[in-house]
Amino acid sequence: MIKKSVYKIPEGKLVKIGLETVDDKIKKIKITGDFFLYPEEIISKLEESLVNCKINKEFLIKHLDNFWKINQVDCFGINSSGLAEAILTAK
Amino acid sequence: MKVRLLTTGFKSAYENMAIDEAVLIHAQKNHQSTLRFYGWKPAAISIGYFQSLKEEVDINECQKQQVDYIRRVTGGGAVFHEAEVTYSLIAPVDGQFISQDIISSYKKICQGIIEGLKILGIESQFVPLNDIIASGKKISGNAQTRKKNVLLQHGTILLDVNVEKMFHLLKVPLEKLRDKLIKDVKQRVVGVKDLLGKQVNFETCQEALIKGFEKALKLEYEKTLLTASELAMAQELKEKKYSQPEWNLMR
Repeated sequence: MIKKSVYKIPEGKLVKIGLETVDDKIKKIKITGDFFLYPEEIISKLEESLVNCKINKEFLIKHLDNFWKINQVDCFGINSSGLAEAILTAK
Repeated sequence: MKVRLLTTGFKSAYENMAIDEAVLIHAQKNHQSTLRFYGWKPAAISIGYFQSLKEEVDINECQKQQVDYIRRVTGGGAVFHEAEVTYSLIAPVDGQFISQDIISSYKKICQGIIEGLKILGIESQFVPLNDIIASGKKISGNAQTRKKNVLLQHGTILLDVNVEKMFHLLKVPLEKLRDKLIKDVKQRVVGVKDLLGKQVNFETCQEALIKGFEKALKLEYEKTLLTASELAMAQELKEKKYSQPEWNLMR
């Protein structure tokens, strides 16, 4: 089942999520919106990295913080807690 | 700072985005900086790199109204390009003219627009991350990317605003919200015409911006044309990337 959300990150940009889940884990995810990530091409790797992640806010924030750091990503208008919240609100 | 100055006039969305990228790729090798001004004909909607074309744009309506649609290499939101002047600045990230710090570089480049608007008689301010406001409303939106240590920042300076037309080309989450969204955007966005109470044409605004950038960024212009190599690459990018569904429908 495809779940969707549209979430305005506080002080940030709009994030749209398309999500398929299995047993409370992410099976497939598409993250779109008017935010900025540098480098831009990292978005595919980010989506891949989220596959099999538990849909749990703390877990997602930790995963995302780690992802930005390892891949040296600069984020504007989007952050770990905002993106985690967008994923959690997908219905 | 020596900069090539290009005024390429009105071109299609595919040509415009292809030229920006071709100049960017050449700058990775020749380390030249280029400031370009341009317009869009036909009118077009551009979407940010991370947006979904199908979610943001009413493709059928665009086709009906002969409005092009295109994905940018830069992030940010959907923009309706009709009555505006667009600029792009392509320059090596050298730590001096262009800072490593993204917000600082937005702020610095946007000073050129603020100075240009001042020449037209408009006071404006930079609002992080990427907007310029005048009389409390957005008059300019900007977006940048960095590839192989070269910056591309492009942005628009609105001459006039047609929010109704824009919202018939963009998808809205709920049809009943369309009127409210139009009202909201009218309160948040403004063009040069509304601020000055008179029409300012493309050439006049472009001239003011050329002078504004020159003063604010301390530029020395070399008026030039696209090189044969840039033109050939732009043609290829137009045909093989920007006019193709593989790119525009990528997300």
